[in-house]
Amino acid sequence: MSPHGVVDRPGPFCTIQDLGRRTGRRAGLAPGGAMDQRSYLWANRLLGNQPAAPALEVTLGGFALRFAVATVVAITGEGCAATLDGVETGTWRTVRAQPGQQLRLGYGSTGMRTYVAFPGGLEAPTAFGSASAVVRDGMPGLLGRCFRPGEQLRWHAPDYRCPVRRLPEDLIPPVPDSLSVPLVTGYEWLDFATTDRRRVFDAGWTVDPASDRTATRLAGPALTTGPRVLDSTPLVDGTVQVTGDGLPLVFMRDRPTIGGYAKLGSVDPIALDTLAQARPGTPVRFVRAEPHALRSSLARRESFFGIGQAD
Amino acid sequence: MITFPGPVSALVTLPVPADRDGIARVLGLERFARDALPDVRATIPAFNRLLIEGAPHSWDPEEVEALLTAAAKECVRGTPPEPETGGPVSLPACYDPDLAPDLADLAASRGLSVAEVARLHSRAQYVVLATGFAPGFAYLGDLDARIAMPRLPTPRRRVEAGSVGIADRRTGIYPAAGPGGWRLIGRVPPALFADATERISRFRAEGTVEFRAIDRKTYQAECE
Repeated sequence: MSPHGVVDRPGPFCTIQDLGRRTGRRAGLAPGGAMDQRSYLWANRLLGNQPAAPALEVTLGGFALRFAVATVVAITGEGCAATLDGVETGTWRTVRAQPGQQLRLGYGSTGMRTYVAFPGGLEAPTAFGSASAVVRDGMPGLLGRCFRPGEQLRWHAPDYRCPVRRLPEDLIPPVPDSLSVPLVTGYEWLDFATTDRRRVFDAGWTVDPASDRTATRLAGPALTTGPRVLDSTPLVDGTVQVTGDGLPLVFMRDRPTIGGYAKLGSVDPIALDTLAQARPGTPVRFVRAEPHALRSSLARRESFFGIGQAD
Repeated sequence: MITFPGPVSALVTLPVPADRDGIARVLGLERFARDALPDVRATIPAFNRLLIEGAPHSWDPEEVEALLTAAAKECVRGTPPEPETGGPVSLPACYDPDLAPDLADLAASRGLSVAEVARLHSRAQYVVLATGFAPGFAYLGDLDARIAMPRLPTPRRRVEAGSVGIADRRTGIYPAAGPGGWRLIGRVPPALFADATERISRFRAEGTVEFRAIDRKTYQAECE
């Protein structure tokens, strides 16, 4: 079958992502899925795709895709400057391409991750209900690794046509210079020393360069190591864990399902999108959150993008 | 006890020991929760705990707490169902300090020889008390108290596939290379974990596992 496009250069970390997997979590499979789900969901929405259609997640640019067909794609997210045959296209919009044209995503000035969605979604193998690649889980093929140069892509509706669509400026999520991350306290929170519990909301950290799809690691003041946890505990999205060095980390999409270190609680699941775009060195503070408020925002997002109900 | 670790999740801790009986009761509670609660999206049983994740549009923490409190009482009171498991999963393990960076230190700190650590680790039959952390990882218990040690204060950046680790009274095998904080005392031939699908489905909560000690030569042969 002839390809609709070829990834000439994937850049440092380019994978297929959708909204991740729920089945298999019981067996230890990471949720996976787009790191910045908001940007990913907008990319599919701009093309009128199903919300969870497989798309590309490009990290820090360095990416080039040559089209073999006349088609349209949507580009959202941050971290890159987009050009088509050398002409700047901008992002948060659909882009029409002709056979032979090359889309490049170069290194940008803000953010970390860009999403490229294709009409009908990428054709991709799935496992446990998702096409998301989780490198640490070691599944076969593109379910367990990044793209390599020269890999071919096909998508379900290459002939789809639409007028150019752009996301209105006021709906484009900002990339803040510093982050206030809502935290729901839980897990071993009450077993941490009072001084530690105060410090969690008083102190400031920065995003550590060792952060990846598994966790946003924080650099800054250390907490005392916290209570000893005897048996590992099932984790939720955005769990904040304190490892032996006393530094908190926020678990991201490729997180483990169970963790053995002391935990402070979990952050607003929607804040994971902003954390996914935070470059190393970005200042981070935690602010107290009430679960019901976070639940309402999540419900609004799911209903707006049409996700979650059928699962 | 029921707590809410996130906006759409509940964590139930049953007041029972984290052993074969405990995990059987937790699996009973899991079946109940999946039937009784609306829109359950995922459940993770582990030791004496159960995590339940719901949907934001229908999650009512008061209703969840009331239902789970009543069900947890039943699960603790009754006799747990007999586990539906076949025979034990039997795995070869090589206890050689070259393959196991913490083996010599652990033996020394416990006043044991390396051979005694190997004997104590490989003579027990373990129960799968939880699966997870990574696909194909099983938390096995109980480890002989004479060789129990807490996990490392800071996890290693890289643990080789097949490494046998211990953490407190638990032991387990790293199915794939990656970061990990358990103390490493042996190695199972990584070929046994090469196939992703087989690896994911090998262990099941409530099942049993045994280790057979093998020497370095046999280990090398199994690696080829």
